[in-house]
Amino acid sequence: MKKIILTLAVGLAAASSGCSNLERSRDLANPNVPPAVTAVQVCSNCHGVDGNSVSPNFPRLAGQQPAYIIEQMQNFRSQHRSDPAGFEYMWGLSHHLTDDQIKGLADYFAKQVAQPNAPADVQQMAAGKEIFEKGLPAKEAPPCMACHGPKGEGLASFPRLANQHRDYLVKQLQVFQRTDERPNTPMTQIAHLLSHEEMESVASYLQAFPNDK
Amino acid sequence: MNKFTKTIQRSVLRKAALVFGLLGITAALFPVDSQALPLFARQTGQNCVACHAGGQFPELTPYGRSFKLTGYTIGDRVSVPLSVMGLATYTKVRDTSKSDNPAGDFSKNGTALASGGSLFLGGKITDNIGAFVQWTYDNFAVQNADGGYSGHSGTDNVDIRYADRFIDTNRDLIFGVSLNNNPSISDPWNTAAAWMQYVPVPSPTSSQFIDGAAPYPGFGSGGNLAGVNLYMYLNKLVYAELGTYQTANGIFSPMSAGLTDASRTKLKGVNNPYWRLALTHEWGPHNIMVGTSGMIAHLYDDNTNTSDPNSVYRVLNTGLDAQYQYILDPHTITAQVAYMRQRTNYSANTVAANVGAGSPSGFFAADGSTLLADPNDSDTTNTFRGKLTYVYQAKYGGSLAYFNLTGTTNTALQTSGYDATSTIVVDPAVSRVNANLSGNPATRGLTYEAFWMPVQYARVGVQYTAYSKFNGATDNYDGLGRNASDNNSLFFYVWGAY
Repeated sequence: MKKIILTLAVGLAAASSGCSNLERSRDLANPNVPPAVTAVQVCSNCHGVDGNSVSPNFPRLAGQQPAYIIEQMQNFRSQHRSDPAGFEYMWGLSHHLTDDQIKGLADYFAKQVAQPNAPADVQQMAAGKEIFEKGLPAKEAPPCMACHGPKGEGLASFPRLANQHRDYLVKQLQVFQRTDERPNTPMTQIAHLLSHEEMESVASYLQAFPNDK
Repeated sequence: MNKFTKTIQRSVLRKAALVFGLLGITAALFPVDSQALPLFARQTGQNCVACHAGGQFPELTPYGRSFKLTGYTIGDRVSVPLSVMGLATYTKVRDTSKSDNPAGDFSKNGTALASGGSLFLGGKITDNIGAFVQWTYDNFAVQNADGGYSGHSGTDNVDIRYADRFIDTNRDLIFGVSLNNNPSISDPWNTAAAWMQYVPVPSPTSSQFIDGAAPYPGFGSGGNLAGVNLYMYLNKLVYAELGTYQTANGIFSPMSAGLTDASRTKLKGVNNPYWRLALTHEWGPHNIMVGTSGMIAHLYDDNTNTSDPNSVYRVLNTGLDAQYQYILDPHTITAQVAYMRQRTNYSANTVAANVGAGSPSGFFAADGSTLLADPNDSDTTNTFRGKLTYVYQAKYGGSLAYFNLTGTTNTALQTSGYDATSTIVVDPAVSRVNANLSGNPATRGLTYEAFWMPVQYARVGVQYTAYSKFNGATDNYDGLGRNASDNNSLFFYVWGAY
């Protein structure tokens, strides 16, 4: 047993000499860790290695607009975005990331391919499609696709919504509607126009967004 | 409402008012802040809910399991890698009258207590090495001749590990090695023997009927050992672990520091293997694990004498466990089941001494003259525990647990019985409340818990454990009229960490 331990100790000491393993590091305070390494070693735990997160607690990042990811990461780092999903998970993780690392992470996830998400209720999807494409004229709510694109693919600071988790979308709409935890966005005003049922419908449509669209 | 219940209610309410007031002040002075958290939270900058399901320590989320399996290395190395944990408790046993020595058997019954605490050291050391080391102080560790208690501190849990991860879109392989002191402490699922217990639990001496008597699926070797375990987790599908344990002496003595030689578990040699295999799957907000584990341990009858090879007994544990989690804010639901079979083959010395011995305590059959059967050469126990937990908003929670221990009857377990005058007496070495007339270990019951986490590093909770069977019987388990339900216990706690 002692020989095993000593051999392991020597091996570990040798392996850890320098205390840094940049190719597989999970260190978030080392500016030399390549973003692609951080993406797979750390981010993937929640968002998936290809950005298609399994749990709806965590947003899908595959195919997300890089400008949007950069903006959100900077907001997490500066603690200007303070919704629960932000401060519970992302404030600490982003605290020491450099601008270059954030840009690298954005590029990594932007180039991932968004996979189809779980199907949704057909009736909800139909209602959601209406809101997405035509808005709610009676409430003067603009269609989502006006800013987020006809395929829900987003544009620059307007995030990709297609294939995003329904639960995540509804919760974020509620954050926009009920709080000031994500300031300086037109969604604050728009979300106030939506009922909970309308949020559920449009989020269902976006989660199960038709791939052939 | 009877007098007993009213007394409990008044006492608990008074203490609860004091505790809640203190917590309110604490919450006001230290608002929820991702920086103001214990060790690992300071390292990652994340809230407790990131790693602990519904914020309830110690149950891990899928991310928490990744954090552990990758060697506690995610995040930034912190300059002061320390945390502290403290516990205040109040316990009340349903019936303290059927005892020969109520003052001794229930000396802390109905009294609010500071119940010890722990110091944690560890976290990220290098990109591949991290640690979780717990040092615990029990202020009721030793009972003195005058009936008072002396505190004692010692090594509690130790898990120092090296881990690496090869991950890309085609494969995800985490592998590593853990140097630890307790079989299954290295396991990331909370149905593992070392983690299935309720946390917090009181000091065994402060409330023996909460954690001292309610059975858990555990390993017969116990803790304070030294083990090296190799593990791997492939594609979040298969987890496998293989290790072996030895006595924590020599260079491993820090892993049982604080223990006397007599209380330090002595294993024979290094061939005491431990194994673990689990299959896991995640879908949406759900995840499930089904697994098995086991260990073969060779232990000495007397921890102070390891020179006699005939004093070695063998314990074989084989377990099955499963855990389901649903985690989607604001709801956290966990269902856990664990089963452990334990086969103990007693030492050659014990077996030889059993022949013609009758009851080791000198008991007879009811006629006062017929000898009882010789003690068994081997015993088997089967322990099952199931637990269902719900937490809302990582603040309000409750759980229901069922436990059922069954096992072979053995006159060696019999600690009360008939003497030569056909009178039931209790072995003087055992207090009456722990006496066993049947020689059977069967114990069964339910634990109900409700808790509140006003801030993420504090928890206030109440547990009630109801026994439907104790020491082999529902009624009159000691032969002198004490029933299993007399041991029903209320446990109120305030737990905090920083």
